[in-house]
Amino acid sequence: MSAITTLNPKAESARQAQALAINISAARGLAEMLKTNLGPKGTMKMLVSGAGDIKITKDGNTLLHEMQVQHPTASLIARAATAQDDITGDGTTSIVLLIGELLKQADLYISEGLHPRIVAEGFELAKKEALQILDTLKISIKQDRETLIQIARTSLRTKLTMENADILTDIVVDAILAINEAGKPTDLNMVEIMEMQHRTEADSRLVRGIVLDHGGRHPSMPKALKNAYILTCNISLEYEKPEVNAGFFYKNTEERDRLVLSERKFIDDRVQKIVELKRKVCSGDDKDKTFVIINQKGIDPLSLDVLAKEGILALRRAKRRNMERLTLACGGEAMNSVENLTKECLGFAEDVYEHVLGEEKFTFVEGCKNPKSVTVLLKGSTKYILNQLKDALRDGLRSVTNAIEDGCVIPGGGAFEIVAHQALTQYKQQVKGRARLGVQAFAEALLIIPKAIAQNAGHDQQETIVKLQHEYVTSKIPVGIDITTGEAMEPKSLGIYDNYRVKKQLIHSSTSIATNLILVDEILRAGLSSLRPGGQ
Amino acid sequence: MIYIFTSDFIFTKQTIEMALRVPKAPGFASMMKEGSKYTHGLEEAVYRNIGACKELCETTTSSFGPNGLNKMVINHIEKLFVTNDAASILREIDVVHPAAKILMLASDMQEKEIGDGTNYVILFGSKLLENAESLLRMGLSPSEITDGFNLALKKTLELLPTFEIKVNLTKENLRDNEPIVSKVLQTAIGSKLFGYHEFLGDLVTKACLTVTGSDSTSSFNVDNVRICKILGGGLFQSTMVPGMVLKREVESEITKVNQARIAVFSCPIDIQVTETKGTVLLKSADELLAFAKDEETSIETQIKALADAGINVIVSGGKVGEMALHFLNKYKIMAVRLQSKFDLRRVAKTIDAVVLPKLRAPTHGEIGACDSIFVDEIGDTHVIVFKHAKSRIATLILRGSTDQILDDCERAVDDAVNNFKALTRDTILLPGGGATEIELASKLSEYARTCPGIEQYAIQRYAETFEYIPKILAENSGVKSTEILAKLYVGHHDNPNLGFLIGQAKSETTQSNDITYETGDVKLSELYDLYITKKWAVLFATKAACTVLSVDEIICAKPAGGPKQKENKGWDNDD
Repeated sequence: MSAITTLNPKAESARQAQALAINISAARGLAEMLKTNLGPKGTMKMLVSGAGDIKITKDGNTLLHEMQVQHPTASLIARAATAQDDITGDGTTSIVLLIGELLKQADLYISEGLHPRIVAEGFELAKKEALQILDTLKISIKQDRETLIQIARTSLRTKLTMENADILTDIVVDAILAINEAGKPTDLNMVEIMEMQHRTEADSRLVRGIVLDHGGRHPSMPKALKNAYILTCNISLEYEKPEVNAGFFYKNTEERDRLVLSERKFIDDRVQKIVELKRKVCSGDDKDKTFVIINQKGIDPLSLDVLAKEGILALRRAKRRNMERLTLACGGEAMNSVENLTKECLGFAEDVYEHVLGEEKFTFVEGCKNPKSVTVLLKGSTKYILNQLKDALRDGLRSVTNAIEDGCVIPGGGAFEIVAHQALTQYKQQVKGRARLGVQAFAEALLIIPKAIAQNAGHDQQETIVKLQHEYVTSKIPVGIDITTGEAMEPKSLGIYDNYRVKKQLIHSSTSIATNLILVDEILRAGLSSLRPGGQ
Repeated sequence: MIYIFTSDFIFTKQTIEMALRVPKAPGFASMMKEGSKYTHGLEEAVYRNIGACKELCETTTSSFGPNGLNKMVINHIEKLFVTNDAASILREIDVVHPAAKILMLASDMQEKEIGDGTNYVILFGSKLLENAESLLRMGLSPSEITDGFNLALKKTLELLPTFEIKVNLTKENLRDNEPIVSKVLQTAIGSKLFGYHEFLGDLVTKACLTVTGSDSTSSFNVDNVRICKILGGGLFQSTMVPGMVLKREVESEITKVNQARIAVFSCPIDIQVTETKGTVLLKSADELLAFAKDEETSIETQIKALADAGINVIVSGGKVGEMALHFLNKYKIMAVRLQSKFDLRRVAKTIDAVVLPKLRAPTHGEIGACDSIFVDEIGDTHVIVFKHAKSRIATLILRGSTDQILDDCERAVDDAVNNFKALTRDTILLPGGGATEIELASKLSEYARTCPGIEQYAIQRYAETFEYIPKILAENSGVKSTEILAKLYVGHHDNPNLGFLIGQAKSETTQSNDITYETGDVKLSELYDLYITKKWAVLFATKAACTVLSVDEIICAKPAGGPKQKENKGWDNDD
């Protein structure tokens, strides 16, 4: 019985060896669980939520989120993975694997009587060295389409099946290239993701413009327009009740009719202003130009009717974020009042059309000149496929942006881990004292990544590692695993690249979490004595 | 490997606790929230998934084809369905098993994409899985099987269009080929309501062609073929009306108008009111009288203006005030009130009118025209009929003795209409009655033999799966399936259009129509399937089967209690 129970009889605790055992087994259990997901040949996991919805994924972060992990250690690791996802958008499975393996290796020495503190010191030293090795492996890149495609492909193929990954690769790179402006940080919010449950994944594409998930609100409005001016506005075109409690008094029907008219005049005037602008810009040389209104506020049926008569397509209650994107995509500015409406405020798109899917309507604003905001249209036959594509797409976009921001990449396919293992084994000789063992454990732990990739592809782990190490020692070129053959290959020549910052973050956080976990010697949970017995 | 110690399960069961306890035992299961389920590996996950899909398939198999049996399904709100339409059966039984659900989603998608062939998806998908299971037990890995299936799928999609039966049908000349179109739709109806297929097929074809209009280029909207179910009579008393039939009565005294000129309003036909609350300020009894009089004249002028514009029918989306009704009767105008704004739009479309948001006399272009509008009594149901020869909307009046029969009939008609829509997208016809499948099976087997890798086993099984289609057709008809299959295989050497036929022939002895089952040339008996239906069905089924195979771990959260989450549908539909 630990001392805490005398202080609080409801408290629970686990001490020393037991605490360590709990932590290590949790980390390893989680790592074993996610191990099968790593790499292009990793398997999928099916998650069924409380409401019965199906999710099929191999993304580590999604899994950890949806699994509802309750174990304290496991949720600590899950949080580290979430942090990894927030910062880099990739490497979540790797971080869980690495923490699990670090603890496993540490356990070997600790069970032989080595003090955890010394192992932790070794980890710290090894981490610094590993980061230096990482810097030596940097390959600086140019921002050309070819390189970016290789980076996107590496990331996407670990999330999706080969065919789907290849479809998304082009989309991701083109999207980034469209919105990226030299010298400015890339804002991924400018890539809108629109899902459409329709046809198959192969029909997904990049729309150079915006796709809105609603359509025109009047049956006689045009369904498709060419060469359209686009008015993006946030102007209420519907009757709004005054805030004060107002009432009308009238004596006869004539008065009432006047009131009916005056009540609407306010709105009618606004609509009239817009109609005038339309007539102005769509006349003379621009006779065959058309006009679209995308309004963030509402438009009531009477106003819609007037607009429909003019052949204007009007969309109401557009999303706030789409307003910003619209002006970026097709130019013009978002208007907040009908005063000062000029041609300069308008955007332009070659194609505006409505697409009806069952009961849902979508409006495409396409063919914008030099759009700075684009939409990725994801198609898939079922919801779980769409979710899978969406998660992967986010990661793909992140990896390309990361590469652009880093200006460099790291050879993938486990190459870094092989190099680092080799270098750390040599570095070990310089370390004095028992901390050397910690460095050794760290070096061994790194190998879990190539091992897992090899295992998932159906190759023998040890055999593959030995082959790779041999190849590296003889050729001095960083080598990774060729997943189809299980032989060594040069990642650079095949265009398999990992993000620099992903690896950096990975080494940092996995070491600190692992160090924290092995240094824990007591787990306590305060009992809630005020609650009814049993805590229910 | 994942360690799951049985003791962990016991442990978690014993400690029903709040979040984040200090754990005492190792293992993965203790990390999860109470009530979660975790299955893993070939034995535990894959085989069980396949088993679930097989069971799902068993329910729908017996409903497949013209002689499929009906199912009685009572859903969660205790509504009774008697049907052999797989899509509705599955929708109502609320599948929860995750793997079976994947298959169901695929069939759902087929319903959305084409609107027919849902049972085909379930059947083909689960038979694929069944075949995959034996391959798995032979020692193949799931990824090898899915690779093989994908190869076979690719080959199938390549082969399918080559089996085309050429009948010179194009998107443009659908109207001139009514008999062929009718045959195609009959196949669809025949699989649901065998015996009525010829009659209904012709009826639906007429309705669809009415709607398409002369320019076949504009897209065909399924919504334009309306169905009006009226209890009583028999199915053979069903008719088709160009225009709309609404189960309502008119408001006015006049109940029949020929050569109608119609104004359509979305607002109520009454005195105009302000949005803001209005109060009539009266000081004396005279003023009150004057006000009432005033109101009367104001309505009268409005109605008169309508009458002067030559309007003799008004259709309103809101209520028709009593005062207004009085004047409408006075000026001999028929008034129809519709509850649904969609009906209002459809009526407007039928008569080519513009819906006006405010009560005013319409301009010339806004007035609709209709050959005749009248109230009719079918059975004991009163209906308003908008009959217009040039209408772009057609209505099928279905008659039947019970609600269930009518519902089933409606589903069959829906399928047929969807088939027509598919036909407007792609006019390639394939031989029906399982002829395509047998041909595919033999061609794919040949293809499998040319494949060098281990995938050939999977392709071979994929080919065999196609056999199930004619096999089940035969089994459901009570014919020996093996015999039929053997006959079909032999016959396919000479005639690729040989299929399983269910026909009606005059019998010498009984002097009545006997139903016959035999193999025969489907081209001669004009039994067509649509290429596009088959293409998507095979595609969706294969993808679903591959998904089920590629999952080797399932993590189920504890089922949440409480009502299902409300979907935010129609958030912008407030007008």
